[in-house]
Amino acid sequence: MPWKAVTRSVIGTSHIQQQLPCQDYGGKQILGDVLIGAIADGAGSAAHAEVGAKLAVTIVLEYLALTEVWLQKRRQSWRSLPHPPAQELATKLFTKIVNKVNLGLRKQAETSGYSIDDLACTLLVLLATPRWVAAMQIGDGFIVVRSKRRQDYQLFFQPDKGEYANQTTFVTSSNALADMQIRILSNPPKFICASTDALERVAIRLSDWSAFPPFFKPLEEYLLETTHPDKDDDYLISFLESDRLNSRTDDDKTLLLGFYE
Amino acid sequence: MPVGLPEFVENPENRCPVILLLDTSTSMTGQPIQELSRGVGVFKEDVQRDTKASLSVEVAIVTFGPVQLLQDFVTVDQLVPPQLEANGYTPMGEAIEYAIDLLQDRKEVYKTNGIQYYRPWIFMITDGAPTDSWHNAAQEIRLGEADRKFCFFAVGVEGADMTTLSKIAPPDRPPAKLNGLDFQSLFVWLSTSMKRVSSGKVGEAIALPPVGWAEISS
Repeated sequence: MPWKAVTRSVIGTSHIQQQLPCQDYGGKQILGDVLIGAIADGAGSAAHAEVGAKLAVTIVLEYLALTEVWLQKRRQSWRSLPHPPAQELATKLFTKIVNKVNLGLRKQAETSGYSIDDLACTLLVLLATPRWVAAMQIGDGFIVVRSKRRQDYQLFFQPDKGEYANQTTFVTSSNALADMQIRILSNPPKFICASTDALERVAIRLSDWSAFPPFFKPLEEYLLETTHPDKDDDYLISFLESDRLNSRTDDDKTLLLGFYE
Repeated sequence: MPVGLPEFVENPENRCPVILLLDTSTSMTGQPIQELSRGVGVFKEDVQRDTKASLSVEVAIVTFGPVQLLQDFVTVDQLVPPQLEANGYTPMGEAIEYAIDLLQDRKEVYKTNGIQYYRPWIFMITDGAPTDSWHNAAQEIRLGEADRKFCFFAVGVEGADMTTLSKIAPPDRPPAKLNGLDFQSLFVWLSTSMKRVSSGKVGEAIALPPVGWAEISS
């Protein structure tokens, strides 16, 4: 398989202390030559954040998979588009996804007798083919990509922060669509890493919002060496659970990694 | 697997600025000023028990009677609790405006250095009534609160003009009246609150601990 990918979440030490569940969720699918993935970080202040994060990711993956199946039925694929999608098409696609997610969350809230704010979460989505990557982000967290012909790691979006360190936008916020960031990278990707905000402070240099290569390189090498990242996840889990990392962040941590051979 | 572990970028801690705006006018002479000084020490000790908070919480001390920057912003471990002296009038209006400007300057320092920060607090403690014009300061507090520029807290010690204080404090956060001279409980509460703020997750509304140091007013 040309794409190798894995997603793992590990609960934060502060969540263990406060007896909260892990409120992060991540998922991915590989459809032929296309990698789709999503991660969500449930708002700490939301009563059922873990439900919201998981549902949001599930809805995104189902919908994105459907678009690929729909294209394949017409003997096409996201990968076979003659050009990377234009900003307009990407905006249309991701807007639809956000609306689907909100609809799903609202239904879930009604069924369970919650308020939709009880399910608030951030959302990062990516759609990657061998020739381009399209991604969107609502709230904080980050997506970093290394293109095939480049050595450096590119931070896709500056994390969406308000003035203060504890402010961000959620997919359920009234300004979610207005704050949604979308970007299309027209270069062939080699390595992709998406994460919730817990790893921001160790992976991204905040003074100039640049990706820190010594953070990403070992993760890329890990994917390069492993043949089945989903089974062979000891390395990733032990990193996410390491005391070394926990001394720098007490929040839930999620990594989505992708590597194109 | 012979792969090295990721290395981490060195980022400064998120900062959590607080200005202690302390009334040191003549009426505070004696036990009140001593207890207030001791309270600042209690605050320092208590914040320092929390490693993360001690790296995050930054304190500045402004006294009024007259308005004076006694301590510019420092992290708590660098704070030397001052021996406060009671002296002069109560220029509360001037002190508040001074504190708001001081915060603005601090934010600029953070922004220039790529440091993230939490919403700052201005924490005022007084036992009197302003002896200068305070209407402009009250207006600035309202505007600042509405723009979420800071949180303003007013605490009245015995003898404080609570009526005027409630006109100065933001309507959503009326002034609290201290139980006797229980500055210790007040500063432990402040410390606990700062610890919570400094470990606040993204987007999380901070639930403040119950106010055990204040009198219950009807």
